[in-house]
Amino acid sequence: MTIQYKSQKMAENFYTFAVVLFLVQVLVGVIAAVQFIWPDFFILKFHIIKTLHVNALVVWLLSGLMGATYFVVPEESQTEIWSWPLAQFQFWATVVTITLVVLGYIWMGLDYQANKTIFGTLILNEGREYIEAPRWADILIVVSVLTFLFNMFMTMLKTKKWTGIQGVLMVGLLFLALMYLPGMFYSKSMVKDQFWWWWVVHLWVEGAWEIIAGALLAFMLMKTIGAKREVLEKWMYIEVGLVMFTGILGTGHHYYWIGTPKYWLWVGGFFSALEPVPLLLMVWDAFRTTREARNVTNKAGLFYTVAHAIFNFVGAGLWGLIHTLPQVNQWTHGTQITAAHGHLAFYGAYVLLVIAMIYVTLPALRGIKDYDPSRAYLSFWWMTISMVFITMTLTGAGMVQVYMERLMGLDYEAVKTNYNLWFWIFRAIFGVGFLIGVGIFVLDYFTLKEKTAVKT
Amino acid sequence: MSNKGARNLFIIGSLIFFAIFLAMTFDTLGQLDSRAPNITQAVDDGKMVWHKYDCVGCHSIFGNGTYFAPDVTKIAAHKPKSYLKLFLMDPKGVNPEAVMPKLGMTSVEADNLIAFLDWVSKVDTNGWPPKPILATAAGVAGKALSAGQLVYQLQGCSNCHSINGIGGNIAPDLTNEGEKRDHDWLFGHFKDPQKYTKNSAMPPVTASEEELGQLTAYMMTLKHEVTK
Repeated sequence: MTIQYKSQKMAENFYTFAVVLFLVQVLVGVIAAVQFIWPDFFILKFHIIKTLHVNALVVWLLSGLMGATYFVVPEESQTEIWSWPLAQFQFWATVVTITLVVLGYIWMGLDYQANKTIFGTLILNEGREYIEAPRWADILIVVSVLTFLFNMFMTMLKTKKWTGIQGVLMVGLLFLALMYLPGMFYSKSMVKDQFWWWWVVHLWVEGAWEIIAGALLAFMLMKTIGAKREVLEKWMYIEVGLVMFTGILGTGHHYYWIGTPKYWLWVGGFFSALEPVPLLLMVWDAFRTTREARNVTNKAGLFYTVAHAIFNFVGAGLWGLIHTLPQVNQWTHGTQITAAHGHLAFYGAYVLLVIAMIYVTLPALRGIKDYDPSRAYLSFWWMTISMVFITMTLTGAGMVQVYMERLMGLDYEAVKTNYNLWFWIFRAIFGVGFLIGVGIFVLDYFTLKEKTAVKT
Repeated sequence: MSNKGARNLFIIGSLIFFAIFLAMTFDTLGQLDSRAPNITQAVDDGKMVWHKYDCVGCHSIFGNGTYFAPDVTKIAAHKPKSYLKLFLMDPKGVNPEAVMPKLGMTSVEADNLIAFLDWVSKVDTNGWPPKPILATAAGVAGKALSAGQLVYQLQGCSNCHSINGIGGNIAPDLTNEGEKRDHDWLFGHFKDPQKYTKNSAMPPVTASEEELGQLTAYMMTLKHEVTK
């Protein structure tokens, strides 16, 4: 297996950046888990570690998705990308921007007064979860993403193939870029601040990113099994359509308690309860297609693809569904239940998606015909079992918190430090397990080679 | 369905749902200011303090943020402001067990942040966070029982009715009774329930006029926690 178009090689740059950030994300994640037990562990305090943890996550997933796009678009358009230098510029501009942002966070962690206001905006950290990146970085990120979209669009324009897969992929990416904008202005009112903040956060992960996931799922099933494009694309349209029909108004499940009108309880509850439907359809799609499989060359790639579909449904779908109705959410909102859902949802929906894309496309990028998948499986089981238990411990901690704090009225801190201590300890242990899994994956990524190493 | 049909359904359907979402956004934005107090300069400055120190890296407001430290939606309503100020400027100086680091917050910053948190505590959040059921029932919210609450207990009202989930469920829930009825209705109803609710199974409350007045006053306080 080898790439048909040289410029697809750009995918590997983004993958490498993603994989390195993944390792950073999980390393600081383990530090954060230990800080739940010993808050003073490590020089950087929890708020900085947490900021690094979630920002590294968002950036490496985006980087992985961009890498995937650099692979998919030339393949689908059957041509080299429009401009290689522009792609290179975009890659390095992204790396430099992100590195500066990370250094800014660390600086702020060492000097609490460093985050000064200049021209009415904070220079190191905007202090808004997930979109902490300061305004100057926002602008650079938008420039980078627009450059990327322009380059991809021009590539498609060269041959005008307009396949369904790359079309939906571009719709998802365009929607993603647009939905970054509502996070780029200051609101005096905290209610409006959170209202627009959810446009970014919700319409990304339960809108744009799921559209991208739908397109990539179809692409991966086509590549690994050779399933028919016609059928795959039809189901892809139905899946991403349902994602939008349920997900857009499903934003309402974040508008129950932030100072917004009561009608969101009805709208949010109804539509968000339907959000798992398209995710279940994706699982069915993956199994239906896989059953037709005759000769699968890239077993690990297919394995991760199917695992992604399953854990997307379980993590994003089921673990969201359990607390999405307002009657339940009133008690569980803002507890560790949310953290449990967040962990399994991001892992299932997007971590496994990017890793699946890497395993599906990396052999071609490296010119490998067949590779030994044992490390891919090993890292999968280390990561998945650990993540399932992390989710279980957080869910347990959340249930204890709901009962003791919300129902009985115990103090937050008392519940956290006394009654939930064992959950934090187990979470940290499984965090290390997850880190081991990531370590195996990173090693595999950098050393993946031909199976038959015996060459004469 | 053809592929083209599925594609068109995806595109047109998405646009329609987004249009509905935009219309609802427009309507919501029009209502937000009336659901919250005015934003003064101190509140706005306080919000910037919240952002400057990345408070959301550990805490949450309206339940959104991080769950490493307490949610602060109602903190300004529940804790004395003088205490909050001392704590913000030197957490461990006030409470050696405190996890929060000393951020170097100035006196002015602390005042503004408290003004901001006070604003947050007065936003109409549709009753979130709910009052803890058991603590509310046990009356451990730091206040003695009011005269009306005593009448409620002595008359055994909770044998049939419930407030915040505590009590019987064979009669209407009274959690938000103060929003549903007015003073005269309640007062008259206690004397002669059947006159107000046909076929009511509730017996008249046998208590003095003064006690009935106290009970009515208590009922009128049963509303969603919204302070303006």
